[in-house]
Amino acid sequence: MMRAVLRRIGWTILVLWFVVTTTFLVTALIPADPARTLLGPHATTASIARVRAHYCLDRGLVAQYGCWLDHVVHGDLGESYRSKRPVTQIIADRIWPTAQLALAALVLQLVLGVPLGMLAALRHGRWQDHGATVVALIGQSVPQFFVGTLLLYLFAYRWGWFPIGGYGTGGWDRLAHLVLPAMTQATLGVAYFARVVRVELLDVLGEDYVRTARAKGLHEAAVVGRHALRNALGPLLTVIGLGLGVLLGGAVVTELIFAWPGLGRELLQAILEVDMPLIVGVVLVSAIAIAVVNLIVDLAQVWIDPRLRDDAT
Amino acid sequence: MTRARAALGLLGLLACSPTEHGPRFRAAGARQPRDGGTLRFSVAEPIATLDPAIGYDEVSYYALHALFDSLVGFAPDGLAIVPRLAARWDISPDGLTYTFELRAGIAFSDGTPITPADMKYGLERVLALADSPFTGYLDDVEGAHAMVGHAATTCTGIVASGDHQLVIHLARANPAFLAILAMPFATPQRAAHVAAAGEQLRRQPDATGPFLLARWDEGNRLELRRNPRYYDPARIHLDAIVMLENTPRDTQFQLFERGELDTAEKLGAPDYLFVMTEPAWRPYVHRTVGMNVFGSRMNVTRKPFDDVRVRRAFNYALAKTHTARLLNDSTVPSHGILPPGMLGRDPELAPYPHDVARARRLLAEAGYPDGLDVTYATPSDEETQKVAGSLQSDLAEAGIRVHLDVMSFATFATAVSLPDGPAFSFTSWAAEFADPINFLEPRFHSRSIKPPETGGTTNDSFYRNPALDALLDAAHQELDAGARAALYRRAERILYDDVPWIWDYHRVTAEVLQPYVQGYAPHPIWIRDYTAAWLDLGPDGARVKR
Repeated sequence: MMRAVLRRIGWTILVLWFVVTTTFLVTALIPADPARTLLGPHATTASIARVRAHYCLDRGLVAQYGCWLDHVVHGDLGESYRSKRPVTQIIADRIWPTAQLALAALVLQLVLGVPLGMLAALRHGRWQDHGATVVALIGQSVPQFFVGTLLLYLFAYRWGWFPIGGYGTGGWDRLAHLVLPAMTQATLGVAYFARVVRVELLDVLGEDYVRTARAKGLHEAAVVGRHALRNALGPLLTVIGLGLGVLLGGAVVTELIFAWPGLGRELLQAILEVDMPLIVGVVLVSAIAIAVVNLIVDLAQVWIDPRLRDDAT
Repeated sequence: MTRARAALGLLGLLACSPTEHGPRFRAAGARQPRDGGTLRFSVAEPIATLDPAIGYDEVSYYALHALFDSLVGFAPDGLAIVPRLAARWDISPDGLTYTFELRAGIAFSDGTPITPADMKYGLERVLALADSPFTGYLDDVEGAHAMVGHAATTCTGIVASGDHQLVIHLARANPAFLAILAMPFATPQRAAHVAAAGEQLRRQPDATGPFLLARWDEGNRLELRRNPRYYDPARIHLDAIVMLENTPRDTQFQLFERGELDTAEKLGAPDYLFVMTEPAWRPYVHRTVGMNVFGSRMNVTRKPFDDVRVRRAFNYALAKTHTARLLNDSTVPSHGILPPGMLGRDPELAPYPHDVARARRLLAEAGYPDGLDVTYATPSDEETQKVAGSLQSDLAEAGIRVHLDVMSFATFATAVSLPDGPAFSFTSWAAEFADPINFLEPRFHSRSIKPPETGGTTNDSFYRNPALDALLDAAHQELDAGARAALYRRAERILYDDVPWIWDYHRVTAEVLQPYVQGYAPHPIWIRDYTAAWLDLGPDGARVKR
């Protein structure tokens, strides 16, 4: 068990190093001059040279990487070229809005997706199943920008039930601002969760132990809830893990449409301005989020399913 | 039956929802400016910083104008220089010495009087900072170079004298110097405040202007409050200004229509067309020709652009009316780099006409009877994409086959400044201070071509013409406005004939206001400067419904 855990952690660290190095290389090789982007077209040659020296941009690629890696291991992700703020501070500001959005979206996905999948599986082949499949298909196919724009137009602009974008000032106001972005962000997950639950549940419902449970005269709710659903949840956990990791990495489209001040929007702005320290920082944090959540899911599964312990070792 | 009823209900909801096309509020009808109220507006980007020595982007400027006063300023409705922190000034006959008398009673927002030493420190800080984009503007100040090169810790040309006098000595006359000092970076700062704030200075502005920082939820919302210690209270009418950051254009207009914003600018094409054609909104749309220019630059040292006939052919091939239509007629066609209203712009010159036959003839003379293939580099934003598409189809008519190379703005900006970068690309320029020096020298003086390893080339058409250099140098030293204008007109004429660019258009800034927003129009340089605006609200301070 311990070896399995250590091995997963080792892999996670390797993945993180790979992501960070690749991101650094890609951004460093973009033929844009951050000093010029920062100082604008009117800058003098002397000030451009000073900024390049300040950020190690006047050195070779290897030296730049070394210079930067040294800072990273000391917890210093550098300063944003644009705002001159420490990248860690910017990320700290942005990660909470993203986490709120991610968690709200996850709750919606679970609350809507799991019952929808159950309904489809329990009413297999009937109109409820077909209906749920169509809903899931639409949810998976409709692009987020369309869902977001539609929700914004109808519920905020046209009917005024929710605010038009923004982060709100806290409390109920924050919650009101959160509803539409969370719904937008949840659409894909609802559809995906529903499909996974449906397929898994259908699989499990055909198993011998379910038949035995029914033969014992157990109530259908107990058969489904206690026996079938519990066994169908393993794959769902993996899907939740992957989904949550991605959600925590920031939601560029949703955050942009609803002016939600999260990591995704920050990343987009950073990319447009080739704000390298910020790009690498946000990617690093997103990669950590995905890797850590996956690690937790992996470990949870090892813990839940004894068969995996043998495989893992 | 139930389902049918629900569907009908939904349709009804859609049909009956509020879709008024005009403003929801109206002006209360005050004849004189009234004080009070909060003006709310939004921008699509974040504010980068509130440090006046660093803040350089358009969005940060919106806040900086309100927070910081300089020695002089621009009149609210134009480019005339007006006194601000300096009550008066005197310029020596040789144009090298500027003596400013500071106004009595000026103070920082905490009440501490502003001294000439604070003014000197504010300017020196710009020279000392590694990453201030403004050091170049103080290039002509005596001793500035020594400070930039870290050879000196103080600037000998800036002298604080007594309680009210600041003297600035220039090493070289610069008739645009007053306009440069109107920029927000030329504001007094206290060394003690800068030291105490440290890295937080970008969030802790030492305000000297009509407003002070009340609250900044960075990336979301900035709130400015009226500065009670401002020396000219009659200039301010608003209690507060609220600026929402990172608000997309479409969201901006929806908020505006619902009455949650008081002004909207940089509208998306559908919204712009809507307010321009909707009679209820049209009276509240304000248009100002900006101090900017847009076109296409050609690297005149590279084939085929080293031949002036080719460059002229490209100018004749472009139909400016097409670009204008694509940009919803929010442009003024250009014949050169200087925008309307700028000193030295030659009103006699007409934009190159759209003349395909002439373009073909010129290309044939230049050795391209069957036309030619060129690559056009362009950044990826909406406006430039439209312009590039229009140019591509116009030039095709003259046999010029344009292949588009779309790139991110940062990549684009670096690439075009390199001699071996894209030879033909979109270009634009916007004034930071209203003077032809700010246009012609950076873009066409041979001095503005730098070695690629140091960067900083702004003359990215790599145009070298000793006659033009001589004219621009002479104009830089000329103190008589009339004589300067004549020199710039001659310079314009040279560039008109030599066409290192395809001259295309000057952009019109259009902003729609709620009917109760008064005393405001977009400024040609600062664009959104609401410091003198007022709100015609009801007696209870609320917006009056229609």
